[in-house]
Amino acid sequence: MRPLAFAARSLRREFRHAELATLAMALVLAVAAMAAVATLAARVERALVASAAELIGGDLALGSPRALPTGLAEEAQRRGLAINHLAQFPSVLFANERSQLCEVRASDAAFPLRGALSVRGADGVERDAHAPPPGSIYADHAALVALGVAVGANVQLGGRELAVAGEIAKAPDSGNPFRIAPRVLMNLGDAEAGGLLGAGSRAGHRLLLAGDSDAIAAFAAWAKPNLPAGARITTVQDAQQNLRNAFERGEGFLRLAALLAALLSGVAIALGAQRFARRKSEEVALLRCLGARRGEILAALLLELALLAVPACLAGLALGLGLQQLVFELASGLLPGAPPELPWGPPLAALLVGVAVLFGFALPPLLRLRDVEPLRVFRHDLVARVRRFDVLYLLPVAVGALLVLVGAGSARLAGTLGIGFAAVALATLVLGLALLWCVRRVSTRLRGALRFGLANLPRRRALTLLQTGALALSLTALAVLGVIGPSLLERWRADLPPDTPNWFAINLQPEQEASLRERLQAMDASNVNLLPLASGKLVAINGHAPVAAEKGDRRAGDFIEGEVRASWSDTLPEANRLVQGRWFDAATRRPAISVEQVWVELFDLKLGDTLTLRFGDREIAAEVTSIRKVEWDSFRANFFLMLDPATGAELPHSMVASFHLAGDGAAPLAALSRDFPNLSLIDLNAVLDRIRDIIGRVTSAASWVLGFSLVAGMLVLLAALAATADERRFEAALLRTLGAHGRQLAIAVLAEFVALGLLAGGIAVAAAAALGNALAAGVFKLEGYTPPLGQLALLVAAAAALVAFAGWAGTRRIARTSPMAVLRRA
Amino acid sequence: MSDGTGSALYASEVSKTVDGPDGRLTILDRVSLAVERGDSLAIVGASGSGKTTLLGLLAGLDRPSSGTIALAGERLDALDEEARARLRRSRVGFVFQSFHLLPALNAEENVMLPLELDGRDDARERAADALARVGLGARRHHYPAQLSGGEQQRVALARAFVHGPDILFADEPTGNLDQRTGAGIGDLLFALNREHATTLVLVTHDATLAARCARSLRLREGRIEASAAAGEGETIGKADGGMSEATRRESQA
Repeated sequence: MRPLAFAARSLRREFRHAELATLAMALVLAVAAMAAVATLAARVERALVASAAELIGGDLALGSPRALPTGLAEEAQRRGLAINHLAQFPSVLFANERSQLCEVRASDAAFPLRGALSVRGADGVERDAHAPPPGSIYADHAALVALGVAVGANVQLGGRELAVAGEIAKAPDSGNPFRIAPRVLMNLGDAEAGGLLGAGSRAGHRLLLAGDSDAIAAFAAWAKPNLPAGARITTVQDAQQNLRNAFERGEGFLRLAALLAALLSGVAIALGAQRFARRKSEEVALLRCLGARRGEILAALLLELALLAVPACLAGLALGLGLQQLVFELASGLLPGAPPELPWGPPLAALLVGVAVLFGFALPPLLRLRDVEPLRVFRHDLVARVRRFDVLYLLPVAVGALLVLVGAGSARLAGTLGIGFAAVALATLVLGLALLWCVRRVSTRLRGALRFGLANLPRRRALTLLQTGALALSLTALAVLGVIGPSLLERWRADLPPDTPNWFAINLQPEQEASLRERLQAMDASNVNLLPLASGKLVAINGHAPVAAEKGDRRAGDFIEGEVRASWSDTLPEANRLVQGRWFDAATRRPAISVEQVWVELFDLKLGDTLTLRFGDREIAAEVTSIRKVEWDSFRANFFLMLDPATGAELPHSMVASFHLAGDGAAPLAALSRDFPNLSLIDLNAVLDRIRDIIGRVTSAASWVLGFSLVAGMLVLLAALAATADERRFEAALLRTLGAHGRQLAIAVLAEFVALGLLAGGIAVAAAAALGNALAAGVFKLEGYTPPLGQLALLVAAAAALVAFAGWAGTRRIARTSPMAVLRRA
Repeated sequence: MSDGTGSALYASEVSKTVDGPDGRLTILDRVSLAVERGDSLAIVGASGSGKTTLLGLLAGLDRPSSGTIALAGERLDALDEEARARLRRSRVGFVFQSFHLLPALNAEENVMLPLELDGRDDARERAADALARVGLGARRHHYPAQLSGGEQQRVALARAFVHGPDILFADEPTGNLDQRTGAGIGDLLFALNREHATTLVLVTHDATLAARCARSLRLREGRIEASAAAGEGETIGKADGGMSEATRRESQA
């Protein structure tokens, strides 16, 4: 026996059987999903990392919430480095009675040190440029459209009239795909003169440096010990690492979605392989009878599988790479610096996943074929059941676990996911069994074709549950992402009281408080709330240098290294609740401080602890006299730290105002901004829109990957159809013989598959609604949230229609079986 | 034989050919026959002689390459598959060697099937009666897998007669059963046939069963080799020893 020739001939003859076709399709899908996602992720990451220098705007960046001491820049210049001073802050621009929140960057003429700035003038010609001269700004297309102005017009920013001197066509750090607010570039001198950068403003100050790498490294080494409090140094390597970290979180989700597709494909492959093995068992028994050795038979079987797998894997690879190329082309506007060449690692890894899925899920039934008794030729009911091979059925489980582990990247996440998958599977099983019991009850009350179709579901119980589970899992993922997520956000937003503050004004000087109140009253602003704000540094906790309760906690690190902000008030502010201790009163020993629960967890604080804080040149050691819980989504100015009022009043500070303004309020706000030039206005609605926009982008990216898992779920359905094709063919022929007409057969098929779709859809909706309620209660703190049942019902209907169509398509040929088949089958 | 509309079943010059790898293959070669109402006909012959093909053609499950067939007075060649299905539903019953019950349905539901396909309202009552008649009234909620071979064939008999067909086609009805059970099923088949005055066409290897039919017809390589009425020729003589009670009564009648 020549295994290769035998395998090739077998494959040629057997490919028309549905199970081999589903096997190949499942393999194509698994490889395509993994290749598309992993390759795209690798390319985007590469593009981001490659543009790290452009993103930080130089070879080295010093960043601080306050203006940096001039000594740093002088030292850099002394060492022959090019320097660029920059400040960045959100601010609202006004023009034509319209307002627009923009990301403003104020820079000296040196910008950009790295990369190129290209600006389109009034004549429509693009030119390379540096930061705009005093009195003018450059704005990007989005800003111009939002404000309804053209190049040459005037806009109001920080209380000053500035001319739009050009439209930004290309700027160095446009590499962040999640940046959504329109951008404006202004002269640093204008920003300083307008008071936009004063104490309490939200501006970030940066000193960018460029030069040869040795000089940069030497300067970094010198600067580190000389940095002022709250300042940070960022190298290109740091920026790359940060980008990788940020990117990995988003990528993790997509990888898991692709993994779901691969695992469901594995289930389809297992079904196909089992069917294939059952068909082959008689052939194998005969070959054994005729004297073929076990090794030869196994070799032929594995070769046949390999001959099928190689082209399927390659087709999947081509499909996946094509898809990611398409997405990459579409997104290339966001990633201008992306290198065009394809990384080879991810496609190869996808091929490996394909091979692992194929052999992991197909091997057990095939290896069992090796032990088919030659006696089976005479006795068809003789099924080999060899104990030691049962262990083989752990193989798909092991492969699945390994894939989850690799995909999740951490054992802990993999464990959580594994338990999650198992819980979903178990819930599906229980729910599915219950629903099947109902179907059984209902079907006995129905008549004829309808009953016959429905009765098929409980009869093939294991297969039904498998199909239901696969479809339900992918549908749940889609429902949560597509229906539950957006509805939660909408509901959360709708839940906010109508006079929820929608504007913030920061950087107000204490002596301006009274006049601002008057103005806001004149503007019919409601819910006005003004609080003082002092920025300082955390020096010590109980006399020791602060340490985070949990090592490496990023938030704690930010508070330790960066700036902390504190406020004060005679009464406990709204949206704050005391958890422990008492609010400040005359009896409070000063200085005293009230901390928010997050800080209690971050630094392991308790009542009576002492926090040492430095504000400017004043150092305060305040005793913790109360612990608060803050509703962070109340859209007010809220603070982790609140000092007792007497202590606070002595500190240098600015004021923060939050208020609600009906309508867009552009005209009065423009006037306000003109009369209080130091005031920075922030439009909270615009911020919320940005959040929604970002979520929308992430959702649409994720949903095409989840589309893969839905297709994989359908493949499981088709594989199950292939597995029962012979039975179905015979039953259709029998019904034909008994006189059923075509319509009755169609009704039976539709009844079965519509019911299957309803089962899967019902389970998915139940799971999605449960998840939605859990998210509403746990994350969004919404009471009485009802998932959008109309949309979910639509999803169930769509699932039922889809499954019915797949079932009808998969059994169309079967229904046309000649009734003679009944007589031919003994 | 005239146009056959008077007969329950009539076939004239029926041939069936198929295209094989080595050219055209003739399975049935100009077979003609007629079965009168209430009559019974056994079709016998070696494996591959064309018995099953002939049965399929007579029952309208397949179409002949040439020749005409009339079933219950209707010319089958004038009907499309849907119309033939309608004809089978109302006028024809089937019994198979492998019983062919639908495993998803219980005994009663299997028997109800022909009535339901025909859209009748009293399906459940009539199915219960039919099962009681074959002695399975107490087991009507059992599934095929819970019944023995003989019991399954009895359910199949109930299904075959429940809608009062004009003509019954039986394909080796005792072929999968042991001799004793087979004889019991044979008795039941002929008893029901008599009660319902059904025309019976029976394909079998079983000489005993064939002998209980009024006439028998032997096929050889797709042609009718011999045709004999009860009491004529060797088939009856051979069957004598194994004749059961029912057969004896029938041949005396």
